[in-house]
Amino acid sequence: MSPQRASADRLARFAVSPARQRKDRLARVGVLTGTAIALVPLVLIVYYLLRKGLGAWSTSFFTTDPTGNTFFGSSSIGGIKSAILGTVEIVALASAIAVPIGIGVAVWLVEYGKNSWFANTVRFFVDVLTGVPSIVFGLFVYIVLVVGTGSTYAGYKGSIALSLLMLPVVIRSAEVILLLVPAALRESALALGAPRWRVIFSIVLPTALPGMVTGVLLAVARAAGETAPLLFTAAATLKTNFNLGGFMNSLPVQIYKDVTSPTTAVVNRAWGAALTLVVMILLLNLIARLIARRSRLA
Amino acid sequence: MSPGSSASDEHPPAGLRAGTATERHGTPAASDEAHAQGRAHFQAQLQQLEANALGGLDLIVEQLDRVLEALQHQDVELAQMVIADDDRVDGRYLEVHQGILSLLALQAPVAGDLRLVAALLHMIKHIERMGDQCVNIAKLIPLSGYEPPVHREMLDALAKMGAFARSEVVQSKAAFAARDVGLAEDLVRQDREINRLNREIFRLAIEIGDDPDTREWAMHMTLVARALERIGDNAVDIGEQVAFVVTGLFREFPAPRPPVPRAPQPPGTQAS
Amino acid sequence: MTTGALADRAPAGGEASLQAKPGLSVRLEQLRAFYGSAEQVKGVDLEFRANEVTAIIGPSGCGKSTMVRCINRMHEEIPGARAEGRVLLEDLDVYDPSVDVVAVRRAVGMVFQKPNPFPTMSIFDNVAAGPRLSSRRGDIRAKVEAALRGAGLWDEVADRLDEPGAGLSGGQQQRLCIARSLAVDPEVILMDEPCSALDPIATLKIEELIEELKRRVTIVIVTHNMQQAARVADRTAFMLDGRLVEIGPTQEIFTKPSDSRTEEYVTGKFG
Repeated sequence: MSPQRASADRLARFAVSPARQRKDRLARVGVLTGTAIALVPLVLIVYYLLRKGLGAWSTSFFTTDPTGNTFFGSSSIGGIKSAILGTVEIVALASAIAVPIGIGVAVWLVEYGKNSWFANTVRFFVDVLTGVPSIVFGLFVYIVLVVGTGSTYAGYKGSIALSLLMLPVVIRSAEVILLLVPAALRESALALGAPRWRVIFSIVLPTALPGMVTGVLLAVARAAGETAPLLFTAAATLKTNFNLGGFMNSLPVQIYKDVTSPTTAVVNRAWGAALTLVVMILLLNLIARLIARRSRLA
Repeated sequence: MSPGSSASDEHPPAGLRAGTATERHGTPAASDEAHAQGRAHFQAQLQQLEANALGGLDLIVEQLDRVLEALQHQDVELAQMVIADDDRVDGRYLEVHQGILSLLALQAPVAGDLRLVAALLHMIKHIERMGDQCVNIAKLIPLSGYEPPVHREMLDALAKMGAFARSEVVQSKAAFAARDVGLAEDLVRQDREINRLNREIFRLAIEIGDDPDTREWAMHMTLVARALERIGDNAVDIGEQVAFVVTGLFREFPAPRPPVPRAPQPPGTQAS
Repeated sequence: MTTGALADRAPAGGEASLQAKPGLSVRLEQLRAFYGSAEQVKGVDLEFRANEVTAIIGPSGCGKSTMVRCINRMHEEIPGARAEGRVLLEDLDVYDPSVDVVAVRRAVGMVFQKPNPFPTMSIFDNVAAGPRLSSRRGDIRAKVEAALRGAGLWDEVADRLDEPGAGLSGGQQQRLCIARSLAVDPEVILMDEPCSALDPIATLKIEELIEELKRRVTIVIVTHNMQQAARVADRTAFMLDGRLVEIGPTQEIFTKPSDSRTEEYVTGKFG
């Protein structure tokens, strides 16, 4: 074969094929279109939230309780102070319940249960729980703690419902992070002559901490936005109530009530509350991201 | 593992003179394998190295044959050829030496392979010495002039010594190639004969008479006999290397002594 | 014999010195190790002499790492793994039911193939982890310094003890791990291919370190690198298929091994 022929063949082998270029362009356009379609509702939501919600924001919006006056002028309908505080309290209690238990279960699954049939059964049920609709948790707590005990709605019962919701999420994410801790780390700690629990507390958990905090914050963010569980458990009240033993207002419930009102001002308040909720969840997500960046694992 | 036939050691390294530092051009096969890496080639390299070294013994046999013939017929030209051809022996020495260094550096042989490499290093030195002894003999031939007074009996004794020396060299090669310790130890028996003949020649030289030319010639012949005896010793040394490769122990074969029942003596010096 | 005997051997906190100190001999009697039903180590009798370096060589999968992990009872940490037989530290059977696993692991340290300092901890905390985790406190500062000196790392890190352990070079990290094991004052140190992830200069430093360390501890080193075994070990053991084929002075193993299988392995005919 002549050298010219050889190099011509080589050029042909390496040349770009127009057919492939066309296919490439087609695929690119297709994927971009799909992305654009998916982005549209997202953009619309943000746009509406901002347009309708920002208008409702004011100092009194955040500092006064809703007055329950829904038929008269906007000046007397009040703000959402009790709802914000209620959300914060209920979610805090829910986290306080769900996070230690969830991390504990995850630690057991990864360090002790490993691949035993019991551990795998637990994992299966945890997976099932992540898919259970949130209203079911509310109903469960309602049946057991409201109707069953004959007592009334209370903030803490709402927290319990939310914690049940958060639990599988915390377990799952904590387990994933704990599994990412290299086995070599545990091995070297064990080989130093440390009892297993010490290894977990002093070596494994600190290493997994940033990642686990991220998972926890995401679970919290989700719980903060759930309406259904709170409908049957915490109920709603207008006054700011710091006692978790009594009725407690919360943002999702407040929004739920306000949105169907015929009074425009009240509906605007609902939008304002929705925006507030979204901003709170956004802040939580940002904090989670910042902490995740410091993580050495994922 | 039989080494190559004499065909493998016949090609003199082109342009290689004894004493040149650059040994990068060996025989073509050796230089290719010197660049080949990996353990797979290592065994091939080792075998080639052994074949080269054993081939050196063939060169010695050749040199010995020619120098013995030159001796019998006082052939000065043949003697000159032998002297010139020692370059080949030296070249073989350098080649094998370089091959061993390369093997040690690149492959780090251990155990049996290491013992073999050490033995080859010794062997090639003995081969080089044997070559030098052949040259020594060759140099002694023209010293006696073109028509020296010869003493038939002495020449016959020298011929016999030469035959024994040749047979020792051949046997040492066979013993090494076959890793036959028995054959190697048998070399001592033949060496005994060489030593006996050496003493015989010495006695003949003393009693050779008064003629100064004859006496001078006889003196040179005793030196020839000494060189042949040295060749025999080197062959025995090669036999000792056979024992080392096989057993891992280095011991000197018992020095040949006249068959007189006596208390064991320390081994005689095997200096060459 | 209970764990009290092991505790008695350890000097008081802070006295981990650089002088020579008698290590313990380790003797394996009919050791068998299983992964589930698969037998990986098939009845090994072997002695590691005190204050000596013993190397274990053999082809991949011959069971050398498994066997060594049985000595500090790390083998049983793998789910489904178990061991039978006796492992004697001098006269104490490590597998005796009355013996505390944690105490065994303090007396028998381990250095792994890939250097793994604790990522969340500084250099100081890494070395101090051993004493802190085993709550045998004493003067932690003194122990850390002694351990870092013993590992030949003190001069290089004395001025940056608070920096993260993961910021060191590979060779330094491995020496940090050695210091970490030294801090609990073990009598035996097991090394599982400690230099295979390191460059030649780091390897050399660690080999020199091993030479010094053996005055104070008994060292068992598993290695794939026969030249390393040849350089570093007093005695070398060759394992094949879960069994001990031969053990002897290193020089003998590499110049005239008794068993033909050993000869074939060291000359590179297989493995």
